[in-house]
Amino acid sequence: MEMESGSMETREEGSKLGLGFPYWIPSRRRFKPDDLFFAAGNTERELLAKHVALDLTEDERYQLQKMEVAGANTVFCPIAGCGARLDYLEDFEDHYRTRHTASCSVCFRVYPTSRLLSIHVSEAHDSFFQAKVARGYPMYECLVESCGVKLKSYKSRQQHLVDKHKFPTTFEFYKKARPSKHRREKNQRKQALYKSEETKEKYMDVDEKTQKKMHQIYKPKQPKEAKETEMEVEEKIDDLVSAVSKLSTSDSSPSSVSFGHRHARGFAFVPRSIRQSRKQVSQPEAQG
Amino acid sequence: MADEEAALSPPLSHRRDPIKSSVHNTAAHRRRQQAIAVGKERRESLIRAKRLCRDTVIDGSESPFEGDMIIDEEKEALDSKTSQTVLELKSAIAFQGKGATQKKVEILRVLRRLLSQSEVPPIEAALQAGAVPLLVQCLSFGSSDEQLLEAAWCLTNIAAGEPEHTKSLLPSLPMLIAHLGEKSSTPVAEQCAWAVGNVAGEGEELRNILLAQGALFPLARLMMSNKGSTSRTSSWALSNLIKGPDPKAANELIRVDGLLDAIVWHLKKADDELATEVAWVIVYLSALSEKATSLLVKSDVVRLLVGRLVASESLQMLIPVLRSLGNLVASDSYMIDVVLIVGHTITDELLSGLIKCLKSEHRVLKKEASWVLSNIAAGSLEHKRLIYSSEATPLLINFLSSAPFDIRKEAAFTLGNLCVAPPKNNEQPGIIVVHLVSLIDSGCLPGFLNLIRSADIESARLGLQFLELVMRGLPNGEGPKLVEREDGIEAMERFQFHENEEMRNMANTLVDKYFGEDYGLE
Repeated sequence: MEMESGSMETREEGSKLGLGFPYWIPSRRRFKPDDLFFAAGNTERELLAKHVALDLTEDERYQLQKMEVAGANTVFCPIAGCGARLDYLEDFEDHYRTRHTASCSVCFRVYPTSRLLSIHVSEAHDSFFQAKVARGYPMYECLVESCGVKLKSYKSRQQHLVDKHKFPTTFEFYKKARPSKHRREKNQRKQALYKSEETKEKYMDVDEKTQKKMHQIYKPKQPKEAKETEMEVEEKIDDLVSAVSKLSTSDSSPSSVSFGHRHARGFAFVPRSIRQSRKQVSQPEAQG
Repeated sequence: MADEEAALSPPLSHRRDPIKSSVHNTAAHRRRQQAIAVGKERRESLIRAKRLCRDTVIDGSESPFEGDMIIDEEKEALDSKTSQTVLELKSAIAFQGKGATQKKVEILRVLRRLLSQSEVPPIEAALQAGAVPLLVQCLSFGSSDEQLLEAAWCLTNIAAGEPEHTKSLLPSLPMLIAHLGEKSSTPVAEQCAWAVGNVAGEGEELRNILLAQGALFPLARLMMSNKGSTSRTSSWALSNLIKGPDPKAANELIRVDGLLDAIVWHLKKADDELATEVAWVIVYLSALSEKATSLLVKSDVVRLLVGRLVASESLQMLIPVLRSLGNLVASDSYMIDVVLIVGHTITDELLSGLIKCLKSEHRVLKKEASWVLSNIAAGSLEHKRLIYSSEATPLLINFLSSAPFDIRKEAAFTLGNLCVAPPKNNEQPGIIVVHLVSLIDSGCLPGFLNLIRSADIESARLGLQFLELVMRGLPNGEGPKLVEREDGIEAMERFQFHENEEMRNMANTLVDKYFGEDYGLE
């Protein structure tokens, strides 16, 4: 696709404004005569000129359509590491839903591969994982499948991704959760009701921001039952955390947030080790 | 929705196994394969830019051909007849005696019929028997018109075949081009133009050779002929010759004296068939030559094209007319700034012509009309208001949700352009809130979200840009809420592991800005 040169500049200018986001800028679009854009019309021209347009069977029409954009219909899945070849653009959505929506049964976050899902589950919901981390084992796997490297902390894994695999510095495997209005209100009520000093104490060692995040949960559409489950999950995890916290001595110093979208959000679980180390920013890293 | 399957099988495993044919039925299988191959060959020949000449060129002087199409001939019989005829031609050329000329013409006629009345012309057989050099000899200066015509006709049909067939005409090109000249009789020149058109339709390499040998000018002259079939054939041949991708031919053509006038004349007066071919010439002129474009936009051509767009019901005509207008609007700001002023008749007519195309059942018209509209919508505020308040908008909104992908994309470009004010230097482009709100109310958002989810990067980018407009532009912070309701966040978060960095950044930027920690807090 070609743009008018004037508007090209404007488009690049646009990306320098504000957040660096390339805003929508109306501009005329021009195509070369042999551009794929015109292929269908060219085919139609030839068919009509040969007076065969009306004689074609449904099947032949279909075959012709396929031919004129042969190769161009092929699409490669753009999810990193997949590269699956799809014969038609329309197939992509099915492919995505089949292959790239592995969801966590605990917190309902969704991941594009089962491997990433299992990494998430270990890191976020597995107390044994945390126990091993606490003992200094390199547990944080590199997210790039073929790499195989394991790091000792979330942050050092993060650094590895940036340094070795050119991940953006803003990339976060474990992301901030977002509250829905309903959830916030519920949390506020909950806080008022169950104002337990002890519970609060455990979380006191984190900064305020994190605390706010802990209680902020984002949930777009969710069946009612799941909400109940979440509450139970919350409490279970609270218990686990307190159990694990008694084990841990070393810390990891990860950055704050995650990735992974959720169809139905659960509790924003922030592993104890992460919360702890936020406070202990000055402490040297255990190993990375 | 857990993914139970094993992680990431290699891409090939996505393919289903081809249907296996029964081992007991190999003969039937082979026949079926052959049928598919023939079908494929036929299809390929259908979409070639070359045209077989089947009908008589000479008016009246040819007796109605004996019998009709030779359809039931077995391939072998046809081939051997052809080889035989070529051999006879060879002897006839060598023969110097009485009646030699007449004999040659008779044999040429037989060969010509074999090549034009069979369903699948025996081109290969003719070539292998050595037809081309003999035909070149038959084109020698001083030969009778009849002989020239028959020889050129044979060459025309040989050139209409596969690439190798067309290339075999190389030795004949200088003579064919020579007979395009003004000294030739019109039917002869016309037949040679047809042959040249087929050669030009083969590919860039042959086009360059033809241009180097001076084919352009005589064809342009023929285009100005009074005889309908001659100007039609030459226009078609020219359109093949200048289609590039190198713009030099198009640039050369527009400089031919009287060409623009001839184009205007034909657009005004010609019948549909001729006007169609002339329109294709305009298509390539406007796509490739800036000089041509700037001349065309200032001429009567635009008005005439719009007239044809509105009046014609023929798909064959509408395609190049629409595309010419599209190319002109896209290439030269003069169109939007000076010609298509809002309030002028021509603008209203163009709009109604475009709307007619949107309503058509033909995919090509819908798509290319949407494209033209998207470019007009990139114009002034008045242009946006004009389109917004027209019938086009609901049609485009409908396209966005239910049309095939390529049409949806064009509709998206148009609708988005309607919501953004003309860019001023160094300023963030302003949002036309009234338009945006109205489009959202009409249910546009899901369509854009679908584009975000598609595997086509350009569409995904477009969708994200539109989402930004929605979230920035909708009053009272309604934007993010609406996006959330429509599962927009999920759509954006798909990009976290996308291989394209720009996409990742765009999506993350939006999510961070509009759905960050402060989201929802009053």
